[in-house]
Amino acid sequence: MNLNEYLINQDPYYLAVGNEVKHFEAAYADRMPIMLKGPTGCGKTRFVEYMAWKLQKPLITVSCHEDMTASDLVGRYLLDEKGTVWQDGPLTLAARYGAICYLDEIVEARQDTTVVIHSLTDSRRVLPLEKKNEMLTAHPDFQVVISYNPGYQSVLKDLKESTKQRFGAIDCYYPTAELEAKIIAHESGVDDKTSKLLVNIAEQTRHLKGHGLDEGASTRMLIHVGKLISRGIPLHEACEFGLILPITDDPDIRKALSHAVAACG
Amino acid sequence: MIERSDTSETLSLSQVTNIEKPEYSEHDKALWLDACYKIEEAGYGATVSQAFAINSSDILQRLGLDSVLKLADMVSLAAIKADKKTAERLSIECLKITIRFENDTSLANTWLTLMEQVIKLAPESAFLVLNRMDYLLYHLSLSHLEGWLLTGLRAGASDPKKRFSYFSFEDSQAQKWLEHAAGSMSFSDISRETKAYLGALWNIHLPVREKHIHASGERVRRSGFGLGLITVPSSFPGYQGDIAHQLYRAALAHIGAHITYSGTSFSVDQLKPLQIALISLIEDARVEHLAIQDFPGLQDLWKPFHIAKARGAQTANQLFVRLARALADPNYDDTNPWVCKAKQLFYDHKDEWNDSFISRKIGGLLANDLGQMRIQFNAKTYVVDPPYRDDNMGLWDVEDQDTSESTQADELLSNVDIDEMDNSEPDTREETNEIDENNATPISLVEEDGIPVARYHEYDYMTEQSRPEWTTIVEHSPILGPVHLIDDILQKQAYMVNRIKSLMSSTKISQPQKVRRQLEGEFLDIDACITATISRRSGEEVDARVYARSERKHRDLSIQVLIDVSESTNDKVVDSNECVLEIERQATALLAHAISGLGDPFAIGAFSSNKRDDVHYYRIKDFHKPYDHLAKARLAGLQASGSTRMGAAIRHAAQDLKKQHNHRRLLLVVTDGEPADIDVSDPHYLIEDARRAIHELAMDGINVLCVGLDSGVSHDLTRIFGKRNLVMIDSLERFPEKLPSLYFRLTT
Repeated sequence: MNLNEYLINQDPYYLAVGNEVKHFEAAYADRMPIMLKGPTGCGKTRFVEYMAWKLQKPLITVSCHEDMTASDLVGRYLLDEKGTVWQDGPLTLAARYGAICYLDEIVEARQDTTVVIHSLTDSRRVLPLEKKNEMLTAHPDFQVVISYNPGYQSVLKDLKESTKQRFGAIDCYYPTAELEAKIIAHESGVDDKTSKLLVNIAEQTRHLKGHGLDEGASTRMLIHVGKLISRGIPLHEACEFGLILPITDDPDIRKALSHAVAACG
Repeated sequence: MIERSDTSETLSLSQVTNIEKPEYSEHDKALWLDACYKIEEAGYGATVSQAFAINSSDILQRLGLDSVLKLADMVSLAAIKADKKTAERLSIECLKITIRFENDTSLANTWLTLMEQVIKLAPESAFLVLNRMDYLLYHLSLSHLEGWLLTGLRAGASDPKKRFSYFSFEDSQAQKWLEHAAGSMSFSDISRETKAYLGALWNIHLPVREKHIHASGERVRRSGFGLGLITVPSSFPGYQGDIAHQLYRAALAHIGAHITYSGTSFSVDQLKPLQIALISLIEDARVEHLAIQDFPGLQDLWKPFHIAKARGAQTANQLFVRLARALADPNYDDTNPWVCKAKQLFYDHKDEWNDSFISRKIGGLLANDLGQMRIQFNAKTYVVDPPYRDDNMGLWDVEDQDTSESTQADELLSNVDIDEMDNSEPDTREETNEIDENNATPISLVEEDGIPVARYHEYDYMTEQSRPEWTTIVEHSPILGPVHLIDDILQKQAYMVNRIKSLMSSTKISQPQKVRRQLEGEFLDIDACITATISRRSGEEVDARVYARSERKHRDLSIQVLIDVSESTNDKVVDSNECVLEIERQATALLAHAISGLGDPFAIGAFSSNKRDDVHYYRIKDFHKPYDHLAKARLAGLQASGSTRMGAAIRHAAQDLKKQHNHRRLLLVVTDGEPADIDVSDPHYLIEDARRAIHELAMDGINVLCVGLDSGVSHDLTRIFGKRNLVMIDSLERFPEKLPSLYFRLTT
C-alpha cells in the first residue's frame, strides 16, 4: 500500500518565526517525537504540513476527541460478508508504511488512550497489535507529532508525565507583529496597512487574555477578518463579524473590543 | 376651635363653588363633601382640612371621586402616622402630581399608593419626600421613583434615623441611588466594559475605583491615577447616556496614555501652582498626541469634548481651556496671542514629543508669559477641563503632601472593589492559614473585624429587579475549637462510621463494566457476532451492533456545604439536650468524613448575617485544602449568632464552586429555617431573593440542595428550593446519621 494520497503536493505557506524548522529537521533526522505547544490558530497545523511537504513524507492527521478509544488509533476488526477483517487505524497505517502521524489536540483524548503511542515513541519503535497477534515494527520514516494548547490545561486534561517525557517540544506562539502582518497580508490579500492594523487589534484582544477573554484573537482569525475585508466588507464590520462576535459572548467585553477597534483607526 | 374651622371650611367650599364645573355628579359631590367633613371632624387642624378641601376639589374634577376618597384616607393616615405638616403637604402635592401627570388617574393613583407605603413604613421621612417631590420627579419617572423610594426603605429598614438621612440626602447613598434609578450613567454600570477597554488598548489592568462622593468639591468630578490605582468620579453631572459613556472611555483612555507615555513623575521642586497646571496641560496634550499616533481613532474620542470657543473673558481658566483645545485640535484657530504662541511652540517641538521634559520646558515658558500678562490664576478654584482629563495628581511627585496622599491611598485601597480583591484574596488567606498551622495554637484570630471580600446584588420581588452591590460579604477567620470534639463525634458514631465505610467501598470502587451490542467499540461482542453470523446465514436482517467496550463510571462531582450558624441554631432541640448547631456540627463532621473518604472535592462554609452590609462568612474548608486538623478545629469552633441572609451567602458560597471543573456541582445548604435579617421587615423579601439566587445558580449548572432541620416552625423552604431539592429532617437526633446516607443517595 502506498500513502501517496497523504502526501502534500503543494508548498504550504509558512513563515518561520524562529528556529523551529531547523529544530524539527534535526528531530526528524533521529525520528524523535515532537510536541507542538501553543494557542489555537497560531499555525501549529500549518507548520506540520509545511514540514511534511519539506521532508516529502506523507502526513496522517488524527483529530483527537474525548470518545476516542485506543482502537480508533490502532485499528479493529470489522465484519464483511465472509467474516471479520482487520482494519488498520491511522496510527498503525502511519507506522506500517512510514508517515508522519500528527495527533492534533492530544489532551482531548483520554489518558488511557494516549498510552498506546508509548511503545512507538521510545527506542522500541514497535506497536503491539494484540488483537491481531502482530508485533508491528515501525517503518523507518515513521514519526509521531502531537499538538496541544496549554490554555486548555486543567487538572482534568493534561498529559501523563510518562507521555510528556517522550517528546521534544516546540513552543509555538503568535508571530511577531511584523511577521504576523506579513502572513495576514499574504493569506488574505489585504494591503500592508490593513494587515498592520489587524495585528494591532489582535494585540488588544491578547491584552485581555485572563481579563475577560480566555484567549486572544489568533492569526487564523485575523486572516479570516482580512479575507472579509478583501471582499469589500468595511474594517469595523469585518472585525465585528470575524473577531468580536465569535471570540466572546460577554456583552461588556464585546463593547470594549468594539470601541478598541474604533480607537485603532 | 370647631367654630373657626367651620368658617374656614365654608370659605373653602365657597371657593370651590366658584370654580366648580359640572363634570361630576351631585352624588359625587355629596360624597366628596362628606370626606371633607370627616377630615374636618377628625380634628387634624385647620391647615390639614383646608389644604384637603382646596386641593381635592380640583382633583375631583381632574381625576374623579375614587382618587379623592383615596387621598382622603391617606390624609387621615398621614395625620395619624406622621404629622399635620405631612398631611397638609400631601394634598398640595397630590394636586401638583395630577397636573404633572396631565390628569392621568392611574398614574396619580400609583403615586398615592407609593406615598401610602412611605407614610406607613417611614412616617418620619414622609414630609421630606413630599417636600422634594418636584426634585425627585424632575429626575425620575414614576417607576424609577418607586425604585428609589423602596431602596431607601430597604436601606433604612427598621432604623428611622437611617431612613431620615437617606430621604434628606444626608446619606450620600441617596444621591447615588437616585442617579442609579434615573438611569443616568454611573460608573458602576459600565465599569467592566471600560476596564476591558483600558486593558485592550494599553494592557493596563489596574483597579479602577469610584471616588467617594462625600469628598466634596469640584475636584471630585475628575478622574485620577497613581499608587497603582485609577479613580474615576461615580458620575459626571450633566452628561447622560451615551455621552457619559463616551466620557468615561475618554477619561480612561487619557489615563492610559499617561501611564503608557508619561514615564516617571515630575518632581514639584520649587514650582508654583500656575506652572504645575500649565506643565500638566502640555503633558496632557503631549501624551494624547503620542497615543493618537498609535491609535488614530482616539482623536475622535477626545475631540468632541473640546468645546472651548475663541471668545469670552480672558481669565486664566478660560485661556487654559482654549489652549487645551488648540493643542488637541490642529484645525482650531484661536485669536489670543498667548494661545497662538503656545500652539506654535508646541508643534515646533514635535520631534521632541517623545520626551516628557518638553512639557516641562514649554509649560514653564508659558507660565512666565501668563505672569507677565498679569492674569490671575487661582489654584484653589482651578479645575482641569475638558472633564475627561484627570486631576493631574498622578503626574507629580508630591513629597511634602506624602502623608495625606498616602492615607488617602490607604483608605482607597482598603475599599478596593471586589473584582480586584478577588485575585489577591486567596493568597492572603492562604498565608494566614499557614501561620495558623505553624503556631498550632487554637486561639481565635482577630475575630471582630473580618475582611469584606465581595458584594452581591439582591433581588427585590417588589420591583422585580436586582439591586447591584447591595450585600457585603465579610469573611471572618473562624474561631478554632478543640479538634478532639470532631474526633469524639466520629467515635461516638462509630456504627455510622463503619456504615459509611461499607457504603464508600460500594460507591467508590466502580468496576469497569462491559457495554455490549454497540455499533462501535473497542472489541467484538462475540455473542453478538455469532448471532449476526447466524442471521446472515439464514438470510435474515443482520444486526450490526456487534461491538462492545468497557466503561468505568467516574464519579465527577464537587460539593460545597453551607451551614447556617444564625442565632436560632442555638435553640435546644425538642427532647434533647443538644442545640441545632451541635446537630449540624455532628452531621457535617460525619459528612466530611464520608466525602473525604470518597475523594470528592468538597468545601465547607458557614454563614450568618447582621444586616445587609455585614454578612458573615466563615471558611471551614476550601476545595484545594485537605480536610485536616485545622479544618476540624474550625468546625469545632463554630458559634451561633446573627441572622440568616441566605441569598447573599448562597451567592458567595457558589463562587468557589463555579471554579470547580466537575461534571456535577452541588451546593448543600443546611439550615434550620427560612431566611431573615434584622434590617428586613418584609418576610417575603429574603425568601424571594434566596429563590432567585438558586435560579441564578441553576443557570450556571450548580444544583442547590437543602437539608431543612425542622424545629417545629412552619417555613417556606419549599418555596425557595423546590420540593425535589429539599429534604426535611423531622427527627433531629437521627439527623447526623441521615446526612451522609443522603449524600450517597443524592450523588450516586
